[in-house]
Amino acid sequence: MNRIITFLIFFLIVLLAFAQEKADIAVSYDYTYPTTRDKIQTTPMTLLASHDRSKYFNSLSLWIDSLKSTPEGKAQYMEILKQSCLTIEPDGTMSWDLRKGPTKTVYTYIFTDNDAALLTVYGKWGDDLGFYTEPLAEIEWNIISDSTATMLGYECILAETDYHGRHWKAWFTPEIPVCFGPWKLRGLPGLILKATCDGAFSFTATGLESTDREMTTIYSPADYERVDRKKAQAQHEYHVNNAEAIFKAQNGGNATLTYQDDEGNPIDAPVYNPAKHSIEPDYKN
Amino acid sequence: MIRIITYLIFLMSCPLCAIAQVSVTGSVIEKDSREPLAGASVIIKGPDGKIKKYTTSKADGSFSLSIPTTDSCRLEVTMISFAKQSLPLDSITLPATIEMVPGATILKEVTVKADRIREQGDTITYDVASFAQSQDGSIGDVLGRMPGISVESSGKVQYQGKDINRFYIEGSDLLGGKYGIATNGISHADVGSVEVMENHQPMQVLSGVAFSDQAAINLRLKDKAKATWSVSGSAAGGYSHQPAGGLWKEELFAMAAMTGFQNITTIKTNNTGDDLSTQANDFFASRRGTDLTRYVGVSLPGVPSLNKERTLFNRSALISTNDLWKFGRGELKAQIDYTYNRVASDASNITTYFLSQANRVVTENRSGVDRSHALSAKVIYELNQKTSFINNTLKTNLNWDNVTLDVTGSLTNDQSASLPDYFISNDFKLIQRIRGKHIITILSKNEWESMPQTLSTIISSERSRQRVRDHAFYTDETIGYSFTFNGITVGLEGGVKGYIRSLNTVLTGLPDLTDGPESAESFTNVLSTNYFSIYATPKMEYWLRRVNFTLNLPLSFAHYTFDKALANRSEAYFSPSLSVNWKPNNRISMGLRGGSGRKPMDLSMIQPGYVMTNYRSFRRGVDDFYNNTSQNLSANFSFKHTRRGVFANAVVLQSWNQRPYTLAQQLYGDYVLYSYSPARSKASTFLATANVGKTLDFMRGSANINGSFNRSESHLLSESQAVNSVSSTWSAGAKINGAPLRWLSFDYSISYSASRLAISGSSASWLGSLENSMTLSIIPYKKWHCKINGEHYLNEIAADSYKHVLLVDAEISYSLTKQIGLTASLSNLFNHRTYYYKTYNQLNSFESLRWLRGRELLLTISFKK
Repeated sequence: MNRIITFLIFFLIVLLAFAQEKADIAVSYDYTYPTTRDKIQTTPMTLLASHDRSKYFNSLSLWIDSLKSTPEGKAQYMEILKQSCLTIEPDGTMSWDLRKGPTKTVYTYIFTDNDAALLTVYGKWGDDLGFYTEPLAEIEWNIISDSTATMLGYECILAETDYHGRHWKAWFTPEIPVCFGPWKLRGLPGLILKATCDGAFSFTATGLESTDREMTTIYSPADYERVDRKKAQAQHEYHVNNAEAIFKAQNGGNATLTYQDDEGNPIDAPVYNPAKHSIEPDYKN
Repeated sequence: MIRIITYLIFLMSCPLCAIAQVSVTGSVIEKDSREPLAGASVIIKGPDGKIKKYTTSKADGSFSLSIPTTDSCRLEVTMISFAKQSLPLDSITLPATIEMVPGATILKEVTVKADRIREQGDTITYDVASFAQSQDGSIGDVLGRMPGISVESSGKVQYQGKDINRFYIEGSDLLGGKYGIATNGISHADVGSVEVMENHQPMQVLSGVAFSDQAAINLRLKDKAKATWSVSGSAAGGYSHQPAGGLWKEELFAMAAMTGFQNITTIKTNNTGDDLSTQANDFFASRRGTDLTRYVGVSLPGVPSLNKERTLFNRSALISTNDLWKFGRGELKAQIDYTYNRVASDASNITTYFLSQANRVVTENRSGVDRSHALSAKVIYELNQKTSFINNTLKTNLNWDNVTLDVTGSLTNDQSASLPDYFISNDFKLIQRIRGKHIITILSKNEWESMPQTLSTIISSERSRQRVRDHAFYTDETIGYSFTFNGITVGLEGGVKGYIRSLNTVLTGLPDLTDGPESAESFTNVLSTNYFSIYATPKMEYWLRRVNFTLNLPLSFAHYTFDKALANRSEAYFSPSLSVNWKPNNRISMGLRGGSGRKPMDLSMIQPGYVMTNYRSFRRGVDDFYNNTSQNLSANFSFKHTRRGVFANAVVLQSWNQRPYTLAQQLYGDYVLYSYSPARSKASTFLATANVGKTLDFMRGSANINGSFNRSESHLLSESQAVNSVSSTWSAGAKINGAPLRWLSFDYSISYSASRLAISGSSASWLGSLENSMTLSIIPYKKWHCKINGEHYLNEIAADSYKHVLLVDAEISYSLTKQIGLTASLSNLFNHRTYYYKTYNQLNSFESLRWLRGRELLLTISFKK
């Protein structure tokens, strides 16, 4: 039995060693997207890329996930949360404000593998963590050579595509010969430094540097279940638009949900409109 | 019809397309190993250089593209970590084998950062790399660029307009208030981030009980600088036109930041205008209880509104070693510092005394040397826990200051002063928290100080000698108790203070003061000023939602004895103060503070006989004991929006002082006699400052604007006549820095200040000075770095009469290796050697001709481990 476990561990280590690869380049992007409260939000994202693989994620989420992947780390994370979010007033009352601390708000991880011609998306739809894969061939770009722009000091060329219900414009630089970009955008002869679409979604590179960071695989893979993209996205829409009913069902029917704006005034429940709020509205088709 | 035409066009074009398509195939391999390379970018570019087709090589290195024609097209293959291959398509045979040679893909790096400023709870984290510019050396240079943080010219660090209360390195307080050693020594490349902890209570035992409106700074080192010794240094030599001769500047800095041990040791010396003694200043030093002040005041001409490095003719040295050991739950710290500063100064001065009838003018040419040595040592034990706090600090400060000053002019003379100061103290503090709500404090403070002063003057071969012997011992024993319930902390501190001081002054060789005081007793003081005081300070602190109220009601009873020189006195004092701080949310905080009270006078002013303070001035204090009263009111406001990188703060302060005596001056020939006469004098001061900082992310920079206004009004006697004076000053400034291009960064600052003195209703005109300074830093090639610095000063000497000074420096550096760099710098390119200026103070105006450091060449070799 012990031998089998040893072998399994050894096998896993070998597998991990193969799965992990060092990145050549690290790029930071600002991801801008519309929220259901009709605001435009910006989140920092990071892309690590080598010549044949990439990993796209949020640094804070990666830090939290890596910390929470071990029991000691988990305890340490709770301690950090407590220190930054828990306020004990002199009179002994306690209040938690999770907005103050390092909490995970971005669940997206995207791994692209040219050899396998696949990309894997990890995320959260509704209340459930999940993942799905997608063949790389789904994007066909049209290069508009006459349109150029300078981003971060690199000359970029415009390319356009229709992808999953939106028309995308991407600016890539042949000076950096990696075929990756932010989110699922890839397949151009150079790094994508900016991308915008017909909705209020955009990606803008804010910095880049050469690196030898490991592109580690997803932490706690067992937490994610395979999903169908379109179904998951439809479920997410349902979850947001029926939050109150779901919440009631979970709490025995006697709970209500109220919503407040930043100033604390009550507002109507937000409505998720795929045409506006989904980066891939094709799931409605 | 249209449909038919479309069909016809389609029919015609189809065979053409089929004929014209050329298939471009091949494989990409690594030249030496002949291994196929996957993931290479393969592009066909047309004659216009535009991308016609592209693909990436597959796992076996193969690629395949089709294109209508290959005429004048090029095939380009690129891959990260390989040199680019570009081949004309019409001259290669297909299928092509593209051989790639390893080569660095040089990225024009734009630092990747999460956020330049992040906020978590009460901690704000600044990413150092995103604020550093290529011209920066130490972390102190970068701190000043961070919105919200400002570094004064003395090196003191402020956050949102308030002094910081702790400076940590990796969470440990190694240096205490001498953090200048760190800000001037630690390379910014070794620091990952700077954390600002708002409302920082350094004593954990008081956290949640005693409110603090000050912030602390913590340097988070990069991994490479942790758990190891990092050593850096530089050696420089050169030549200067003024002072003519050789130059040196040597620096060595070593730091260890281990888990159980920290050390910072630095040795520096230079004669290039950098006064190193200020780097060991203790910014947290509280006012000494012994409270001795210098009577003799021979000082070299002060620095005018010009960068100090431009005018300082110095030889300086600094040796500092600081250790911290953690053992058990406590830590032991030992610090030794030695500084030496020799400053030579020459100036031609014209002093005009404003008198109500006719002004009096004294001219003099001064030439002097000030040699100051300072040795200080400190041993600290500290235990800082949630339930108890213990700190014992034993320290000594020994200073020797020798000044010689030769004056020619209206009153030719030589002066030499020996001004040592010996101080030793022990502070003990114990705070214990019992059952969460009860806090007991025990404090014991004992200080001894001796400040002997000797001034010798020779005026037309007449010798005078002023000797001052001044010793004091101070002790303060306090016990305090406080408890907390429902957000209210009520405390009472009580204790005793004792003070013994003796003053002895003798003047030999009296000057000839026509019609002035002549008896030897008028120039002698034999005096003791002692007191014994019992005090109690009830204190109440109350939290109401997000508002903190703190009320202090210090009450004391003191008995003063003067060893028969004056009648003994008993006095009671009460000086209540109230402060209110409100932090409605994380972005805004504001405070209001007010106080009123009665205080004993500064005891060093009890001095019935004259003391010669310099060759021309004699000062006498009061011959009785008085009390001062004062009131003050201040308000502050600060705002921050970390995600947008906006920080702003404003402070308004008004204070009133009433003294039952007033400063008077009397002229006897060329001599000035200062004395205090018993008359009510009032002074009021108004101060307003505001500061706004913002990050400029598009060019990795930041900008800052600030303004201040100061008005002080005083009432005093000059030649037996009352003089009311109002001095007003306002200033405004702006700073901006950034790196708009990869090879270019800049720093620009502009500041304007204007001041006016109005005496007895007649106003002088506003006199302004404008200062512009610009540094351009250029990286023409990798490893090379050029810096050009220009400073322009526009000083208004009299109404509408201006003085321009333009000073330009240039520097070029070359990085030999990652560890070793070479620098050649040329300062003051135009070799300006003189500077003329004029300043005003309460009773006189002062015109001066100063000498500047001339053109200087300095060659430096620097290393870093």
